[in-house]
Amino acid sequence: MTQPANRKRFTVPIGPQHPALKEPGHFAFDVDGEIVQSASVRLGYAHRGIEKATESRTWVQNLYLLERICGICSHIHATAYCLGVEKLAQVEVPPRAQAIRSLVAELERIHSHLLWLGVAAHESGFDTLFMYSWRDRETVMNILEVMTGNRVHYSANVLGGVKYDVDDQQAATIREGLDFLEERTLHYLEVVSTDSLFLQRTRNIGVMDREAAQLSGVIGPTGRASNVQRDVRLDSPYAAYADHPITPVYETTGDLLARFVVRLREQLTSIDYIRMLLDHLPNSPLTTRMPRRVKAGEAISRVEAPRGELFYYIKSNGGDMPDRIHVRTPTLCNIASVAQLVIGQHLADVPMILVGIDPCFSCNDRTSVICQDGQRDMWDWARLRQYGIDHYGTHYTKDLG
Amino acid sequence: MKLGTLFKDAWDALFSEAATEPYPNPHPDETERLRGRLRWNPEGCTGCSLCVKDCPAAAIDIFVLDKKAKQFVMRYDIGRCTFCGQCMQSCRFDCWQAANDDWSLAATTANGFVEYYGKEEDIERVLAGPVTDDPVKV
Repeated sequence: MTQPANRKRFTVPIGPQHPALKEPGHFAFDVDGEIVQSASVRLGYAHRGIEKATESRTWVQNLYLLERICGICSHIHATAYCLGVEKLAQVEVPPRAQAIRSLVAELERIHSHLLWLGVAAHESGFDTLFMYSWRDRETVMNILEVMTGNRVHYSANVLGGVKYDVDDQQAATIREGLDFLEERTLHYLEVVSTDSLFLQRTRNIGVMDREAAQLSGVIGPTGRASNVQRDVRLDSPYAAYADHPITPVYETTGDLLARFVVRLREQLTSIDYIRMLLDHLPNSPLTTRMPRRVKAGEAISRVEAPRGELFYYIKSNGGDMPDRIHVRTPTLCNIASVAQLVIGQHLADVPMILVGIDPCFSCNDRTSVICQDGQRDMWDWARLRQYGIDHYGTHYTKDLG
Repeated sequence: MKLGTLFKDAWDALFSEAATEPYPNPHPDETERLRGRLRWNPEGCTGCSLCVKDCPAAAIDIFVLDKKAKQFVMRYDIGRCTFCGQCMQSCRFDCWQAANDDWSLAATTANGFVEYYGKEEDIERVLAGPVTDDPVKV
């Protein structure tokens, strides 16, 4: 059957407000029938001005502000910030505090990956898996609550150490929870790799080979599913990862199935790692003295968040507040790959492919103004506000015709 | 290749207890470290106001009526508090404690979210108007 020459492509816009999206983002998919021909991604709908806000808060206050960039990986944001500020202040954190930082980070990884498993299963229509994985996620949330007192924003970090110790009774509670989680993770690993209906939604869908993954700069578990052998915990060890290296997890197929398998296997390595840390917790104080003013200078810190590499740039001018903090979350590196991955796929697979990178839109939005003529340009609040009004005013007018 | 890989889970769930916890009756058990409503103990307080400076949510405020006589009034806004526990960390004299059994703080009105700690006459003085003796400003 020949296609009419004047056949037009149809564009399916999704977002920024859409029932399928949990957070605001805009995607436009050009489709020919059911098959996606090209795609574009637009972000920036949930910019919260956090970087600017850090400049008017003290070093201590910023710890809690930055922890709230993400509700899922809050601990790792605080860790990245603490590592950077401690580097600037030339403060050595006691070894027990470093081990506890890694311990909470790995617990957080399990909780994040289980949450992702549920969301991804829900997008594929496998709501039974969604419900059971979220039920089991409560186990790790309860462990975190026992350890730190909170389920979401644990606030385990302070500048110069950690707030909470692990005693024998808590270690026993953690081990008991981990045994249950290990059994369930192995079960889910079997489910995602053997359930024939589920495999139809994941095997050979959204395939990204190693070269393509490196070209689009994909990081974290998404990259490791395409055999991109990058993990900050190994490449640039921090906290307890220098003394106790973690076993990395790689897959080679690069499809959605590999992204499931990598994350579930990472949970198993995290479980083993936490057990090992509990066996080898060094004895030392939890905190060290931290100056209220931080020496002038610049520092970067990189950590492996559940979604990939998290990057912090911190600049101090010697005062009690930072001069500049810049945050780059892993979603920014991964989101561009979606536009490539969906090409040639069915429109029905698009939500799964998008969820496959584990996007976190609101953590990701930053503003950069690039001055091309090399002139320094300062924007005050009034100018920024007027820019927003003009920008969105123009867009609304366009949309309304 | 299998079908119905979660069937056994679903079947077993029919005969097991609900995964959700009942609330508010009975009230779920608290963990030891749970950070609920903050309580201030004036005995050790020296009025250094480090807790006020470090609070990321501007939820606490100290009024120093007389530093030598240790006359302080602490104002605590539960509505602003994020229960991060930094005040407990900053205080060298353990004046702040988070009550782990007092966390069910939602209310239908905004009244009652601001608490004053201190002697009654001092609180009355603070509420009456601006305190002249060097109040700590946040």
